[in-house]
Amino acid sequence: MNQVDCTVVENRELTKGNFLLTLRVPRLFAKPQPGQFVHLRLSTDGEPLLRRPYSLEGFFEHRGVRAIRIYYSVVGRGSRILAAQPKGQLLDLIGPLGVGFTPAPRRTSLLVAGGRGVAPLLFLSRRLAEKKRPYVFLFGARSKNELYGVREIKKGRLHLATDDGSVGYEGSVLDLLEREWNEHGHTPQTAEIFTCGPHGLLHAIADFAREKGIRCEASLEGPMACAVGACRGCPIPLRPECDQERYPAMCVEGPVYDATVVDWERLP
Amino acid sequence: MTPVQKPDLRVTIGSLELRNPILVASGIIGFGREYERLVDLGKLGGIVTKTVTLRPRAGNPPPRVVETSAGMLNSIGIENPGLAGYLELKVPILRELPCARIVSVEGENVEEFQELVRGVDASGVADAIEVNISCPNVGPHGMRYSTDAGMAREVMSAIRPLTRLPLIAKLTPNVTRIAEIAEACESCGADAISVVNTFVGMAVDSRNRKPILGTVLGGLSGPAIKPLALAKAWEVAQAVDIPLVGMGGIAKPADAIEFLLVGCTAVEIGTAMFADPGLPEACVSGISDYVRSLGERSVDAVLGAMELPAGRGPIRAGKARREAARSARRSGEKK
Repeated sequence: MNQVDCTVVENRELTKGNFLLTLRVPRLFAKPQPGQFVHLRLSTDGEPLLRRPYSLEGFFEHRGVRAIRIYYSVVGRGSRILAAQPKGQLLDLIGPLGVGFTPAPRRTSLLVAGGRGVAPLLFLSRRLAEKKRPYVFLFGARSKNELYGVREIKKGRLHLATDDGSVGYEGSVLDLLEREWNEHGHTPQTAEIFTCGPHGLLHAIADFAREKGIRCEASLEGPMACAVGACRGCPIPLRPECDQERYPAMCVEGPVYDATVVDWERLP
Repeated sequence: MTPVQKPDLRVTIGSLELRNPILVASGIIGFGREYERLVDLGKLGGIVTKTVTLRPRAGNPPPRVVETSAGMLNSIGIENPGLAGYLELKVPILRELPCARIVSVEGENVEEFQELVRGVDASGVADAIEVNISCPNVGPHGMRYSTDAGMAREVMSAIRPLTRLPLIAKLTPNVTRIAEIAEACESCGADAISVVNTFVGMAVDSRNRKPILGTVLGGLSGPAIKPLALAKAWEVAQAVDIPLVGMGGIAKPADAIEFLLVGCTAVEIGTAMFADPGLPEACVSGISDYVRSLGERSVDAVLGAMELPAGRGPIRAGKARREAARSARRSGEKK
């Protein structure tokens, strides 16, 4: 982890309110793992005051030039400022931060994405493809134009779901997961789940995984102040049967965490 | 051209000499290690550690932080490993730090404060102790000892005999007359006063009609509170003779200088450092430049150097009262 200046290479609105940001990073920026994030400073005049954590969509290195990509939606003060950053703009970031996904060897990865939660899973799918490991990509969104990145997913099997039925299965990606599990003979010894999306969806996926005894890692989202484990402002609540004397910090013990032990009822 | 001499930025708090007046506030960088790749602590005066309590604390349920206009509310609740955990895990880290180490402690009652002060003193790595009698996030006992002069006296007089380390009482701003509390601490042997802890605040989500923080109330910090904190620092500066450590919303070097001008000997950088880890170092340079721009050689020339219009403002009354008290002491000694 380091604090570095990076340069906006591209900041493009792909669909209404959804942007893909490419940042050139110096060599001081360590090679990130899928699921890790960066803490971006979006203002130097104190408004907004805090940095914003963004999960990485990808990391690319070509002839010694390093770049990261962030897929984000405009949802508040910070992302509105980010959307206005032009090509060539310098941005101050701290990263890479946190722990990423940890796929086990010789298991099929079931990547379950909800909405813009697809970002770290695309990063993971590329890494799995490089290592020639099998995966299945299940992606749910509200409608067709929120299905970012689907054309890229080639190496694994891809199943889509939309709430409005504009593409793929009409309904929740959770249904796709249940169908995949039941029809393809996966077992907790042969497959594991990696997921990111709205916490309501992650809650449902975590319940499914716990019931079946499947290993399941989820990438969590929440407000962070320091993002380096010092301020203790981003606690992950754990289920009643787990250690209640302790809150793991989302920024250093997460943002990817064992979904089956998270107390989703208490996670905002 | 003659080489420009670097101004002397050293200040003293009781028996503790700091290489410069810039400290990092409690709760911002843990015990120093978390920020080691982002901050060169060797350039700063020192750090104040995360507050240590007698028993480990898990902290409060989420959400614990919410950003507000030019500020941040927190309800973290002193998540820390307790005194035993501090001795085992944190003392080795503190021993390696290249700056002063001020250990913050908080007890639920006087006996706990005593045990903590004894333990921290014996740990051998603390250069001073900041007595946190002003946390708004740990239940009713948190701010109790700094909202009542009698209770402040109770805790300070109970711990004073237990250590020779400088004791710095950290006060809450959530009182009517902060000067009274500061005077009480001074009269019981406090070596310095930290002004101020966070202001009690809250935020509500109008969409679901629920408070945003898990504990409903939290403490407000950040640039939003700087003018409020500065006024409290000034009020205390007029009331006591011991050094003050000022804090509250410092976000740029000029803010730090303002606290020095109203009478603080050192300042602590807090919330704004989350956005800008380089801020404390920038404040050191800023103060150095400021001292030089005044044609002075030492930061001493800046401390309490605010000038008021003639005949206005209670700082003169405070100074006069202090002078009177001093001469009374001197004449008492002669007798």
